[in-house]
Amino acid sequence: MMTSQQKLETILSRYEGVAADLIPVLQDVQDEFNYLPKDELKIVAGRLQVSLTRVYSVATFFKMFSLEPRGKHLIRVCLGTACHLRGGQHLVETVGRRLNVEPGHATEDLQFSLETVGCLGSCAQAPLMMIDAKYFGRMAVDKVPKILKPYKQ
Amino acid sequence: MVNLTIDGRAIQAKPGSTILEVAKENGIFIPYLCYHPALKPIGSCRICVVDVKPGPPRPIPACATYITEGMEVVTDTPKLAALRQELMKLVLINHALECPICDKGGECELQDLTHALSVSTVDLDAVKLPPNPDYVSRMVERHPDRCVTCGRCVKICRDRVGAMAINFTLRGYFTELASGAQPLDCEFCGSCIDICPVGALINKQFKYRARAWEGAKTEMACSFCGGGCTYQAHTKNGRILRVVNEDSVLLCGRGRFGWPVVEADDRLKTPLIRDNGKFREASWDEALDLVAAKFKETMEAGGAKAVYGVGSPRATNEANYIFQKFFREGLATNQLDNPGRYNYVRAIKAMAEVFGTPKVEGVEAGGALVPAYNSPLVVKEGGQGSGFPFVLGKLADLSKADLVLVVGTDVTPELPPLGWKLMEAKENANFRLVLANLRKTKFDRYADLSLRYKPGSERVLIAGLIKFILAENPDWTPAIQATGLDELKESLKKLTTKEITTKTGVEDAALKEAAALLAQAQAPAIVFGAELLSQDKGQQTALALADLFLLVGKPDSPGSAMYPVAEKNNSRGVSEVGVLPDMGPGYVPVEGSDPGPTLEEVLDLLEKDDPASPKALYLLGGDLLRWLPNRSRVKKLLKKVPFIVVQDAFLTDTAQLAQVILPVAVHAEQEGTFISSTGQLGLLNQALPTNGVRPDWQIISQLGVKLGFALKYVNPKEIFRELARKMPLWAGLAPKLSAPCPAIKAAVTGKFAPFEADISLPGRRPYTLIIGKSLQHSGSFTTHHPGGPMSVTGKALLTVNPEDARSLGLAAGEVVKVISSHGEITVPVDLSAEVPAGVVFLPEHFAAPAANDLTLNSNLMRVTIQKG
Ligand code: SF4
Ligand code: SF4
Ligand code: SF4
Ligand code: FES
Ligand code: FES
Repeated sequence: MMTSQQKLETILSRYEGVAADLIPVLQDVQDEFNYLPKDELKIVAGRLQVSLTRVYSVATFFKMFSLEPRGKHLIRVCLGTACHLRGGQHLVETVGRRLNVEPGHATEDLQFSLETVGCLGSCAQAPLMMIDAKYFGRMAVDKVPKILKPYKQ
Repeated sequence: MVNLTIDGRAIQAKPGSTILEVAKENGIFIPYLCYHPALKPIGSCRICVVDVKPGPPRPIPACATYITEGMEVVTDTPKLAALRQELMKLVLINHALECPICDKGGECELQDLTHALSVSTVDLDAVKLPPNPDYVSRMVERHPDRCVTCGRCVKICRDRVGAMAINFTLRGYFTELASGAQPLDCEFCGSCIDICPVGALINKQFKYRARAWEGAKTEMACSFCGGGCTYQAHTKNGRILRVVNEDSVLLCGRGRFGWPVVEADDRLKTPLIRDNGKFREASWDEALDLVAAKFKETMEAGGAKAVYGVGSPRATNEANYIFQKFFREGLATNQLDNPGRYNYVRAIKAMAEVFGTPKVEGVEAGGALVPAYNSPLVVKEGGQGSGFPFVLGKLADLSKADLVLVVGTDVTPELPPLGWKLMEAKENANFRLVLANLRKTKFDRYADLSLRYKPGSERVLIAGLIKFILAENPDWTPAIQATGLDELKESLKKLTTKEITTKTGVEDAALKEAAALLAQAQAPAIVFGAELLSQDKGQQTALALADLFLLVGKPDSPGSAMYPVAEKNNSRGVSEVGVLPDMGPGYVPVEGSDPGPTLEEVLDLLEKDDPASPKALYLLGGDLLRWLPNRSRVKKLLKKVPFIVVQDAFLTDTAQLAQVILPVAVHAEQEGTFISSTGQLGLLNQALPTNGVRPDWQIISQLGVKLGFALKYVNPKEIFRELARKMPLWAGLAPKLSAPCPAIKAAVTGKFAPFEADISLPGRRPYTLIIGKSLQHSGSFTTHHPGGPMSVTGKALLTVNPEDARSLGLAAGEVVKVISSHGEITVPVDLSAEVPAGVVFLPEHFAAPAANDLTLNSNLMRVTIQKG
């Protein structure tokens, strides 16, 4: 079992340690840790010679990054224009209520993270949600329990 | 000039200006929110939109559009007004309208703009954002809900201060200014506060003390370092509320937040006289009479030379000038010096050796009516000058250098404005920064090349640079007319590349690269500071740097100059007006009488109980005990002097040894001038009552009169007039201008002076301690009040490399014993990789631990570190 320090070193060793590496490094950290831990961010800032505030600026700008641990499964509910018009908001609320989680956060058992996104690029299927890499189109709130079931522990 | 029209008006303007700048200059109103004259255009708010022909078929931002020939600009149409109103509504949509309790109220640009654009309602609705105020950070309070996301603070912090301590997080409507998910951990300069157009960043010192418009404003030069910044002190009821730099906004933390020291509880309020070993309060008359009587007694017994004076790098030019006059004309001796002897004077001496002492021709007394604090001398056609002051750089020019070599100084703590100029220089694509320091400093992040040398090896490093430049360019002819190059070459002949690299620890490839950069540069500048000058052979190192500049310098190109750091507000002035044993005002060598002993020599005389050692000391401020190396020796020697009088604002360690202490006015309590490190004349205007203490000049004058000297003056203006008449070097000088005047044609020549290319760091102890400055403090001055600087850096910490800490078994905060051949101190440690393994760093400002308990004759020494 690698310590988090070792994991981070492995990631950093793949890069040259220049400021331009920031986003790819953060992506790797996100993949490895499933979120961007504070202490690791400080080390990354020091190593790439960028300010910590810059790291946070980037880390909070892109939705692919999370500053708190993400759940095992990532649920993305689309709130793009088409989905919004077809009830995307209800969908988020329903998922949130069923899993007892606010958008942007993870469930207590870290099984799910719930996020809203701009447009998933399949407006014809609106409203739309994704769990990990799988799409669920033409959603309706009453389909939610059945869809979630296989992902629960 | 570029011709354009704005709203039909024909205007001529400087090429390279933006539409907004031209409109402002011509009194045409274009509203703006994110633009600030101290920054490059940001272009984030779009309030400044105008119609431009020829141009795109839509409004474009005036702040970010540069003027072109024949451009037609329209600033005011119903459509533009509607657009601006709409934009303002978007800005106001989530703005916490807390004007009645917001500190910015009354000077808020958003208030003004809302009024100017007649925005009366906001008919938009959006989700409320959490206010997320930050009350925890020091000095700065943040209210993100008042932020208009203009980006000014981010830019000033990143592009001017160079701290990059704040940035936006999230995006779009949710954008929030943040400091990396933690309280601010930055330079605490407060520049972001004053550039913020709204009340999103608040000065905690100022908060709730007054409304913005209530303070009376007095402009003055800053008293906290040799940077020469000017600010407005806002005062109310005889107290300072805050200080603000209305021009460039920039000030450092000690400058902006250090003023409460004026109100420190331990300020001396009345003269003190020692009676039976204890101090008692005395009236001014009694104290001055006593000093006059004692001086007379001393002179009758031992002659005029028995009185020795030490001037002050904190006191004004006027005070220091009449101080030297007290000795030169009153006592007819040269028995005086200033504490810069241990740092800045070494730079002067070295540069004078290579470039000569100043000679100025072709200046004469001008018309009768000269404004106060303007030099009465004007430069005639063909005025000409030579000598080292003509290779000293001016602040504004540093950003024009295309290469800056920084050696032996942590720029920002020693002289923040040099750092700001380096940040500006960095914006030029062809600018190169070469940083040579034994530890990592802030500017390493921005350097093109960092040379990390071994402690004390600066001279070898510089010798190496000179050798490599000459080796690569055998026919090198310096741009400055120079002699003695062959002798210099000869003196460096024995130094081999191997020796250079092993002694400095710098690889020859890096040295060669630095040498090549220096050789190619069209306008190279050299910045060096107290860290290097305070070493025992600091003067030799300065000599090496003067040689290097003579070799590569091109003083005809703006920016190509030497920038030695004169650390205190008047370190340069005190020498320039003649508080030196061998040179009078304007560095004119004394004639007709023997030079007096230097401060160093005086201590040696005392040590030997030499009959020539002083029997009375007149100390103008300057806590010698605190600042001179080898504290126990200095203490022992000062105790030998029968009579010491000290002029100071505090009961310093040195004042404790005095027989009489005369309390002085500081900061805004007095009037007078300073010369900044880069030659700028700073004017101090009085804004506070003196409450019983007196300005230095007045005390010297009164004492002089009691002794029958011709030292009667009504005010410092009168002294300045007399002084400036004797200073051809200051011809044409006026407040905010820098000497020497550019109208004096510089005729610089030089003579290479061989220097000792050795390392001197005696002893066998395992660690090297370097004593230097902390960013927040100005000598010990700022340590007297718990607010401001002390709330950021409240005590001394010994910086230790984490590897060393590991081998010593130390954790951060643990207290260690530091032992040198001369003493020991205890101090908690701070772990940081900024110091290399084997080196430790201690700031010099604090009473305990007193850094000079450890020193012998240098700010570098070998020490042992023990746990517990
Ligand atoms: S106080 Fe100075 S260093 Fe700190 S965030 Fe503001 S501008 Fe940056
Ligand atoms: S805090 Fe002030 S200066 Fe900074 S972005 Fe917000 S409004 Fe602008
Ligand atoms: S840089 Fe120096 S002169 Fe400027 S504000 Fe700071 S202490 Fe004062
Ligand atoms: S709006 Fe949801 S997929 Fe496009
Ligand atoms: S002032 Fe021009 S865009 Fe803000």
